Amino acid sequence: MRPRFTAAVVMATTAAIALTGCTKKNDTDTAASGDAGKKTYKVAFVPKLQGVPYFEAMNAGGKEAAAALGNVEWLYQGPTQADAAAQADIVRSYIQQKVDALIVAPNDPDSMAPLLQQAKDAGIHVATADTDAPSSVREVFVNQATAEGIGQGLTDSLLTAMGGKGKYAIVSCGQTAENLNSWIEVQKAYTKEKYPDAEIVDIVYAGEDQAKATQMATDLMNAHPDLTGLVGECTSSAPGVAQAVKDAGKIGKVFTVGLGTPQAMKPYLQDKSSTAAILWDVENLGYLTAWAGAQIAQGKPFAATNSVSSELSAVTYTEANKMLLLGPALAITDQNVDQFNY
Amino acid sequence: MTAVTEAKIRRRVLPSPITGQEIVLVGVIVLLWAALAVSTPAFLTAGSIQPLLVATAPVALVGVAMTIVIITGGIDVSVGGAIMVCSVLTAKALVGAEVNLGVAVLLSIAAGGVLGLVNGVLIAYGRVHAIIITFGTANLFMFLGLRIFGSGTVNGIPGTLAFFGRGPDGRTLGIPHAFLITLVITAVAWWYLRHTAGGRHFFAIGGDAQAARLAGVRVQRRILLAYVLTGVLVGLASCFVIAQGTSTLDQSVGSGKELAVIAAVVIGGTSIMGGRGSVLGTLLGALLVQSVVSGVTQLGWRSQLSDLFVGIFIIVAVGADLLRARARRAR
Repeated sequence: MRPRFTAAVVMATTAAIALTGCTKKNDTDTAASGDAGKKTYKVAFVPKLQGVPYFEAMNAGGKEAAAALGNVEWLYQGPTQADAAAQADIVRSYIQQKVDALIVAPNDPDSMAPLLQQAKDAGIHVATADTDAPSSVREVFVNQATAEGIGQGLTDSLLTAMGGKGKYAIVSCGQTAENLNSWIEVQKAYTKEKYPDAEIVDIVYAGEDQAKATQMATDLMNAHPDLTGLVGECTSSAPGVAQAVKDAGKIGKVFTVGLGTPQAMKPYLQDKSSTAAILWDVENLGYLTAWAGAQIAQGKPFAATNSVSSELSAVTYTEANKMLLLGPALAITDQNVDQFNY
Repeated sequence: MTAVTEAKIRRRVLPSPITGQEIVLVGVIVLLWAALAVSTPAFLTAGSIQPLLVATAPVALVGVAMTIVIITGGIDVSVGGAIMVCSVLTAKALVGAEVNLGVAVLLSIAAGGVLGLVNGVLIAYGRVHAIIITFGTANLFMFLGLRIFGSGTVNGIPGTLAFFGRGPDGRTLGIPHAFLITLVITAVAWWYLRHTAGGRHFFAIGGDAQAARLAGVRVQRRILLAYVLTGVLVGLASCFVIAQGTSTLDQSVGSGKELAVIAAVVIGGTSIMGGRGSVLGTLLGALLVQSVVSGVTQLGWRSQLSDLFVGIFIIVAVGADLLRARARRAR
């Protein structure tokens, strides 16, 4: 009796897992297109992690570009956690598949550099997008916005809401995240220079934990009763700081801005606990990435100004640092948030 | 028999109501709060203490069950993954089916219970050590959670769970509901562990499972119960986690929570070797950790200092436990 009962429970629970686990379709994303006679170029993009709206939106843009260009097969695969080793395995598998162009958003730029060298030795054209690996052999870096663009965009949006003066604090995420830190540096310098009556009182790090970011923002408001602004430096702390302001009943007294994805920020933009989300058009970034991959795969050089698509009619390229720039940062407010479906 | 001797016998049979660590923890928390009250005047205000208690609740709540698991000589490192599964399921139900508060809580608890049952069955009847099994299921749960997430965050979660949240809807007479529920469950668990035969059996299993079996304790059934209880409390705690997050749920939810919970249990004075422990200590341990994290932020100190302090607390707590064990042996 006892063993049979045990077996039944084990089977029931494994069945439950199997059922819930296998209800989704395969994740592999390919968008093959083009005529049979024409050569198609395999352009592979390895994001920092897959399954997050940000990189899924880039994937959508890349697919769109592949469909529009006609001679590109867009491959997309990333690790399920932002882990450098897992990402390296995916890069190696693409090297073995001999793709024509390999584009990476590296989790760890330093450890990615030798892998990109390996890819180049195997005859693959390599590039970076979203995050650069400056000391690598990459042929081009597809940059979403400059640190100045982001840092100044955040500062201007926040200080406009704060009336150009007052104390504010920053809730950042990973303490060693290079891009976040470079934006913070710009925010510090730009605030000092353009808004002498404003002051950054503290910078704290919450990791990728939303609840922790919210709690830290709450603690910051308690520690500084005269605080009138908060910045959420990444996609998990941007809604976090807004939620903290909402919970404390300080909408209209404490203003927030952040680097948030539009759909996640929408409720906060609508109830005014967030003034603006600073971002760029992520789908266009994916489009530009796929286009750049196709260019280098075909050995075509970049012009100083490139017409990529109707929306990306003048993408600048700087030869000195081999960088394609998507454009200025975008302020997403309750007015335009519905234009973005990610 | 006079009342005096009866009381004496009772005292001898019942274990001491507290393990010793609780007094130390209460002392440390009082000192810390006093120091913070002096250095940052806003610390000891309702606006600061209420959110602190809300943030303590999920870790302390899962900690109650984790304490029982560790008392039996086991451990559960899959609670982070289980929180992910429960919270994404519940969040999707809130957004997609617009379920009400009661249904959401029941759904989350049921999901947690099933996950706990998987752990419990494998550990109690598979006879493999808990850390191996739960390490395996932790990855399994993570896989499951990511599948349910699909390729995106869950956006636009309505305020249905605000009852457990940081905002004004989450309080009655100034007391946060999430913390109050945690407090009641801790009290019930404390009473059960101390005053019922079933409760004492957990300690007996952790002390010596073989001896407990010979003494007539249904060891497997007790162990199964401990892990199912963990799953159930994970389910409830997941509702707290959603309530104190934002209207968006992303895939980092639950990540690392198993370590936060185990830290609270160990700081609370529960022996990681099993056989001894206190749910009251765990609640205080969780409260101490959150007080330190909030204190560091409010003082304007560097965020990483809270990791340093928590690390020191864990080592000191384990050291104190070893010293106590040595003193007991010498007696």
